[in-house]
Amino acid sequence: MMEDVIGVHELTKKFGDFVAVDHINFTVKRGEIFGFLGPNGAGKSTAIKMLTTLLHPTSGSAEICGYDVVKDSDEVRRHIGIVFQDRSSDDYLTGRQNLDFHARMYEMSGEERESKIEEVLDLLELKGKENIKLHNLPEGVRRRFEVARGFMTRPDVVFLDEPTIGFDIKARMDLWNQIKTAREIEGVTVSLTTHFIEEANYLCDRVAIIDKAKIIALDTPQKLKEAVGSDLISLQIADGGEKRATFMEKVNELDWITRVEEYSNSILLNAESGEGRVADLIDFADTHGFVITSIDEREPSLEDVFLYFTGRTIREAEGG
Amino acid sequence: MEVQEVTHKPLFEGEPIYSMWLRELIRFSAMRSRILATFASPLIWLLFLGIPLSQIFASGGASQSVPGGLPFFAFIVPGIVSMGLLFGGTNSGVTVLWDKEFGFLKEVMVAPVRRTSLMIGRSLGALTIALIQALATIGIALILGTWLGFRIISVAGFFLAMGFMIITFFAFVGFGLTLGALIENTEGFMTIVRMLEFPMFFLSGALLPLTVIKGIPVLYQLQFINPLTYGVDGVRGLLTGVFLLPAWLDLTVIVAFALLFLFLGAYAFSRMEVD
Repeated sequence: MMEDVIGVHELTKKFGDFVAVDHINFTVKRGEIFGFLGPNGAGKSTAIKMLTTLLHPTSGSAEICGYDVVKDSDEVRRHIGIVFQDRSSDDYLTGRQNLDFHARMYEMSGEERESKIEEVLDLLELKGKENIKLHNLPEGVRRRFEVARGFMTRPDVVFLDEPTIGFDIKARMDLWNQIKTAREIEGVTVSLTTHFIEEANYLCDRVAIIDKAKIIALDTPQKLKEAVGSDLISLQIADGGEKRATFMEKVNELDWITRVEEYSNSILLNAESGEGRVADLIDFADTHGFVITSIDEREPSLEDVFLYFTGRTIREAEGG
Repeated sequence: MEVQEVTHKPLFEGEPIYSMWLRELIRFSAMRSRILATFASPLIWLLFLGIPLSQIFASGGASQSVPGGLPFFAFIVPGIVSMGLLFGGTNSGVTVLWDKEFGFLKEVMVAPVRRTSLMIGRSLGALTIALIQALATIGIALILGTWLGFRIISVAGFFLAMGFMIITFFAFVGFGLTLGALIENTEGFMTIVRMLEFPMFFLSGALLPLTVIKGIPVLYQLQFINPLTYGVDGVRGLLTGVFLLPAWLDLTVIVAFALLFLFLGAYAFSRMEVD
C-alpha cells in the first residue's frame, strides 16, 4: 500500500458570502502527479493556497505528510515546495542567487546548496543562465527558475499553480517533460492546478475536475474519459461517394456503433468503448467489400469529460 | 495517517536572518540610484536647509532661542540624522507590503522560518543602510562643521549615539510594520505614510527647538506625544552633549515605543495571510 501524502477532508474556504472552495475531499499518494483541472475562478488556486499554509481554511482540514496545515504549518512548510502562479522571485538577483537564497531559508549547508543547485539547473535545463539577473531573462526561463526552486529543498510534495501559463507550445512540452523527469529522479509527489486540458491529460496520474468550488469528478484521465463512454473513430473509404453512403448505412446496423456522421471526406463514428474496435471495423469492411484507406481512433478528451459533467466547455465556463 | 513528531524551531535562526540581511544589501548595491540618494540626501539637507537656517539664527537675536548655547547648525545635524532613521525605519516596515505586491514575500512566507526572523533579517538590512546614511550625514556635517560649529563631544558619546539610533530605527520599523499590516491596500498607501511621517518630523524638534511654539496650544503639546521628539533629543544629547529633555526620559520613551510597535508589528505580520 502506498502511503497518502496529502489528505483533504471537507475543506472549505469562504470570502465573506462567496464560497471559493466547497467541502472538497481527496487523498494523494506518494509519487503521484495529481492535478486540479478547471476553469479560472473555479477555486483551484484557493485550494492550493490552503494546502500550502498561505490561507486558513474556513472549515474542514488538510494534512500534508501527516501534518495539519493549520496546527503544524511550519512542519508542512518544511515538507513542501511551491511554484506560485504569479511571479515570486527577486528580479534584482540572479537565478543562482534566488536559488541559494531560498535554500538558506531552509537552513541547507553550503555544500548541500551547491550540489542541489547544480542538480535543479540540470533538471530544468537552465545551465548557463544561472548568473543572469532575472529581469534580463525571458518570462519562460524566469518561470523555470521558479519551478527549479520548488525542487530545491528536497520536498515531499511540490505544488505548482498553473505552471505553464503564458508559455508557448514548445516551452510547455519542455516543462512537462522536465516535471516528469524531476518526479522520477526526486521521487516527489506533485500537485498542480491547470486550466489546460492537455496539461492535465499529459502530465497527471489522476485529475480532479473542479467547477464552481466543488470537485465534480476525480480519477485517472483514462477512467474519466471512459466514464464519458464512447470512442471516436474516423475513417475513409476508397472510391468515396456512393460507396461511402452504403458503408454508412451498413455500419450503422452494428449494435456497438451509436452514431454515424459524415465529416468532410471522412466518416466519424461514435463507438461504445471496447477492445479491438478498429480491427473489427476493418474486418467488417472486408467482408462487405469495402476498402478502408485510413482509420483513426480517438479517445474522448478531458474537454469532453468536462462537458459531460458540467454541460459546458472549459472555455465557456471561463467566459461567463 | 500516523501523527509525526513536530520538530521545534530554534529561537534564533541565523542563516535565514543572515540571508534576508544579505538580500537587502545585494538589492541596495544593485540599484545605483539608491546608493546615490543615500549620500546625496544628507548633503542636500545640510547644504540647502542647514546652512540657510543657521544663517537666520546667527544673524538675528533668534540665536537666543537655540537652547543650550549650541550653534544652530550643530542643533539640526542630529535632527537630519533622526529624519533618516524615521524615514528609513518606517519604509523598511511598510515595504513588507511591497514585497507582498510583487510576490516575493510569498516565497519567504512559506519557508519553515519564523516570520519574526524574516522581519529581523530585513530590518537589519535596512538598519545597515540607514546607519551608512547616518554616518555619511555625520561625516559631511563634521566637514561643514569646521566652519559652522558642529563637533562630536566624545568618542563614547558617538558610540552611545549609534546605539540610540539603532533603538530609534527599530521603533520606526515597528511603526511602519504595524501601518503596513493595518492598511492592506497599496494604492494611496505611501501617501498616507507620508502624511504621518512629515508632521512627525516637523513636530519633533529636529529642525527647530521645541520651545519655538511654546505659546501655541495643541501644536506644542503634540510634540511631546511624538516619539521622534525623544529620538531626536537622545541622538542630539549624545552627539553634542546638549540634552533638552532628561536623558532617562528619552531612553524610556523610545525603548517603550520600540517594544510596543515591534510587538504589534510582529503580531500583525505573523497573522498575515498571503493571497
